[in-house]
Amino acid sequence: MKKYLIVFDEEVSPGSLDLLEVARQMYGNEAYEVYGLSLSGEPMEAMKYLDGFIRISNRDPKGFDCRQWTKVIGEIQKHYCFDGILIPGTWMGRMLAPRLAVRLHTGLTADVTDVRHREGHLELVRPAFSGRLMAAIIPVGDGPVMLTARENVFRFQAGEEKRTQIHEYSPTEVGLQGVRLLDVQMKPAYYDICNSQILVSGGAGVGRQFQQLEALAEGLGGQLSASRQIVDQGLASRQIQVGQSGKTVSPKLYLALGIYGAIQHVEGLRQVEHIISVNTNPDAPICSLSDIVVEGDAIDFAKKLTERIRQYREDLKNK
Amino acid sequence: MRIVCVVKFVPDVDKLNYDFDKNILIRDQARLTLNPDDASGTAVALRLKKEHPGTSLEVITMAPISVLPNLEDLLRMGFDKGTLLSDREFAGSDTYATSRILARYLSSCSFDYIITGTHAVDGDTSHVPAQLGEWLGISQISGVSRLDFEHFNEGCARVSVEQERSMETYEVDSPAILSLSRESGYKLPYLRKADMDRYVKDHIQVVDRQALGLPKEETGLSGSRTKVLGTCTKQFEKRNRVLVKADEAGVETVFSYLVDKGIL
Repeated sequence: MKKYLIVFDEEVSPGSLDLLEVARQMYGNEAYEVYGLSLSGEPMEAMKYLDGFIRISNRDPKGFDCRQWTKVIGEIQKHYCFDGILIPGTWMGRMLAPRLAVRLHTGLTADVTDVRHREGHLELVRPAFSGRLMAAIIPVGDGPVMLTARENVFRFQAGEEKRTQIHEYSPTEVGLQGVRLLDVQMKPAYYDICNSQILVSGGAGVGRQFQQLEALAEGLGGQLSASRQIVDQGLASRQIQVGQSGKTVSPKLYLALGIYGAIQHVEGLRQVEHIISVNTNPDAPICSLSDIVVEGDAIDFAKKLTERIRQYREDLKNK
Repeated sequence: MRIVCVVKFVPDVDKLNYDFDKNILIRDQARLTLNPDDASGTAVALRLKKEHPGTSLEVITMAPISVLPNLEDLLRMGFDKGTLLSDREFAGSDTYATSRILARYLSSCSFDYIITGTHAVDGDTSHVPAQLGEWLGISQISGVSRLDFEHFNEGCARVSVEQERSMETYEVDSPAILSLSRESGYKLPYLRKADMDRYVKDHIQVVDRQALGLPKEETGLSGSRTKVLGTCTKQFEKRNRVLVKADEAGVETVFSYLVDKGIL
């Protein structure tokens, strides 16, 4: 029976079941066992879908750095011989996966967005050229199949609940820590655009006036997001960027203001219910993906719509 | 201090356009430029040299011979030595094979730090810096957005990484690989006019597979652990758009739509 390992990074990406879904799509039709291990915390939500959970004992209170984790998981692989190792696309996951692939002398496919089966082969699909092209990758060689998955793309529906066996594992040789955390400064205001229901998104056509969209976002009860151009110009933080080099979002409403809709941007839109775009060019690529296209100046339109909404809310209050 | 930068020259992805109607990528012969994250890495290296006189700087890339002029410009900006790993047999290498080739050369260098970018805009995997760390058996840290120049010496470096909700500061023991993010804002200086045509070729070496002593089957397609089956462009779901102008009527159309759909 095939066996695979899912690595969780629970404190960073809590409640993430994405990788369970990737595994289901990889091995769906055959019987398989799924094991878990976590770089931080314990995956409470995912636990009941695991056949086994490997808990690292004698863990250094300071935690492991990436080089140490690579050694630990490399050792675990020697014992369990997993057929596949799935790693989340978190900061730590992205440093760990390539190291581990070298240690196990196996191939690694990054940022997988789709899994296909063709003529008995497994194909892993991922974006390349900053999302302008999709590439189908097949792992070659004898090592385990390794991948990292793009966050917020795979959605685990529900699976059979399992009796999870806890396996205690004591690593033998981890070496010294070479990377030590000294300080953490929390950011004052923070929201995750992946959780937003309404996104007011600004692009190159909005430019330096990007912050003016805040009023519309507030009026709609939503949040601001941005295209890569806005972020590259330093007008917004990378955390609110939609697209291949940013995040994948699934809001109910996506209001695209002055966004051209290059493929790497559109790549970040998944199951968006309503798309409205405002653009001076009604033939911009984003427009063919929209429910309503407004031809004209984005800032001017945003102001008018903000005012219309304000008036509507006032009328409601007075009724 | 000895610093080695590993960089990649990439096509300008903004110059690649996409035809949504025909579903094809329009790839004119895009010029190669220094990958943005790597530009921040080399900028940091140049600044370190300024602040720590006596620091030696080498820049390494794996690429076709045609990138030599790009490499020469980095030397004109202050790198002491350039190494181009180039061989037709390297073509088709995936990140596993690429990192192996680079690591083979790097294992013959002496360095305190290797500075790279985090992410290349063409391959988009961020694998190679971390893979180099494993081949060389040293620490590696990605997404560096700030370097503490006051706490940077032969023994250890202090760097900050911007995370989703926080800014984290790490201490990294040397030798180590520090991978910069373009978010750091470190920018390469403009090439001074006086330096534009400076002769630097005698500080550049080209190294091929044989010189590295790597077996043929360990490079290129045969040395890779993944294979690209093919590329395709993505199909996007087109919608039946309603076209309006940004006037009162247009605002009203959008407003009513938002009310109808229960958004307002």
